[in-house]
Amino acid sequence: MQQAIPYSNGRAWAPRRNGGGAVIGGRTAVEQVVVAARCATSGGEIRRVVEENPVVVVGRRGCCMVHVVRRLLLGQGVNPTVCEVGEDADEAALIAELPPSMAASGAAGSGGDVVGHLRRQGMVLPAVFIGGRLVGGLDRLMAVHISGELVPILKQAGALWL
Amino acid sequence: MMELYLGYLEDNFYRFKPSPNSMSSASAQFATSRRIGIYEPNRQISMWGDSFKADSSQNTGASTIVEADAKHDNRLGDIPLESPGPSKKYDQEANKPADKVLRRLAQNREAARKSRLRKKAYVQQLESSRLKLSQLEQELEHAKQQGVYVGGHLGDSSLGLSGTVNSGVAAFEMEYGHWVEEQNRQTGELRAALQAHVSDIELRMLVESGMSHYDNLFHIKAIAAKSDVFYLMSGMWKTPAERFFLWIGGFRPSELLKVLSPQLEPLTEQQVVAVCNLQQSSQQAEDALSQGMDKLQQTLAETLTSDPLGASGVATYMGQMANAMGKLEGLVNFVNQADHLRQQTLQQMYKILTTRQAARGLLVLGDYFQRLRALSSLWTARPHEPA
Repeated sequence: MQQAIPYSNGRAWAPRRNGGGAVIGGRTAVEQVVVAARCATSGGEIRRVVEENPVVVVGRRGCCMVHVVRRLLLGQGVNPTVCEVGEDADEAALIAELPPSMAASGAAGSGGDVVGHLRRQGMVLPAVFIGGRLVGGLDRLMAVHISGELVPILKQAGALWL
Repeated sequence: MMELYLGYLEDNFYRFKPSPNSMSSASAQFATSRRIGIYEPNRQISMWGDSFKADSSQNTGASTIVEADAKHDNRLGDIPLESPGPSKKYDQEANKPADKVLRRLAQNREAARKSRLRKKAYVQQLESSRLKLSQLEQELEHAKQQGVYVGGHLGDSSLGLSGTVNSGVAAFEMEYGHWVEEQNRQTGELRAALQAHVSDIELRMLVESGMSHYDNLFHIKAIAAKSDVFYLMSGMWKTPAERFFLWIGGFRPSELLKVLSPQLEPLTEQQVVAVCNLQQSSQQAEDALSQGMDKLQQTLAETLTSDPLGASGVATYMGQMANAMGKLEGLVNFVNQADHLRQQTLQQMYKILTTRQAARGLLVLGDYFQRLRALSSLWTARPHEPA
């Protein structure tokens, strides 16, 4: 099966063929792959990482929620690129620096102001980008996962092959 | 190890409080005593005697008389009787009053002696109970300080235990109590509605109430999490059997689905697939959260185990503590995310099922939790050796 890979080769993630098999317990062979971590100090850097990688998690260094997001995505067969920001970084400011096309939600059926929603929750980070667009925070990711929409979104972004 | 349960105090208070029956027989005894000529300055003393006998004062009187007679010779040994001579000289009539008086005096003495003994025993029992009570109070206080949250009902006892429990927790306990009552009511309503085969429209209303009732629970939990996340995580607000199943401050969604699924048949093939997928998704999400919790434990431990010799100085120590505090605050997020997952799982089930199936599902869940709570009560009340 041949598919065009829409992103640059700078990424350090390994594609995993799902083959229709069930992923049990989130523990997959992808664990062996090194966490693709980048450090970002500006919105510009985040933008670049998001453009270059199909699945990006932006989070604070040392935040355990980033770990949760990562585990969930690994369980689906993708190894997200983790973009770490400093512990003192102003989350809202960083997100605000992103272009609107990126900051607007790419998730099916959501619409509306995702960034505003994140801000209201008080937990802007970790933020998940799929296919170059912001999906939302952890609970958005959970909701999308539970409703069964996550895998289609990942496939649409080219992060997953069937 | 405390064996306190709701009703413990009631069960054991009978020793202290005079029973209503004893009041009447006590006053009867009081009157009897007065007739005999013994003055009982403290009315309470006359009451205690009744906790040792179930019979009326009549029997006591009789036994006293019998015993007095038996001891007659001993007791009256030193009291000079009327000389045999004069008694034989006088007729029986004259002797009888004297005998009677002597006998009555003996009875008095005997009664008084018995009275004193009973009083002593009662007071001793009171003293030991008082000691035990203050011991229990101390234990409770100690347990509270260690962060064990004692159930709300003990706070109203006459022991006068004032809580050092924070107000957010107290508020939550009260609201949760109401929540449970309402859930039980709704469960009963669902049961009746399904048995009566009411229309889908009516069922839908009940189902929507049920769903929003769960939303209420997550709402009050979110507030409580800000107030005291460790309290929520401890599960002390739940009954023991429920606590056994605790996962990040609440029920495990995948477990709930396992309870639910067999009871929802018949399901269409589409529904079966959807439920299966939901089961898998919730399991994956739970695993992700659990692993995040493990990571949190690990990083917290690492934060606290640096530099035991304290060579780096106070500033570093304080820095580490501040760091650790920040990590602990992350727990609030975990509880919130776990609750969010619970909510999402319930919502998704609601989407998959028909109205009737959803009503059935809510009934199954409500009934299941009721049984767990009943089990907890039975467990707490079981007879066992005190620690």
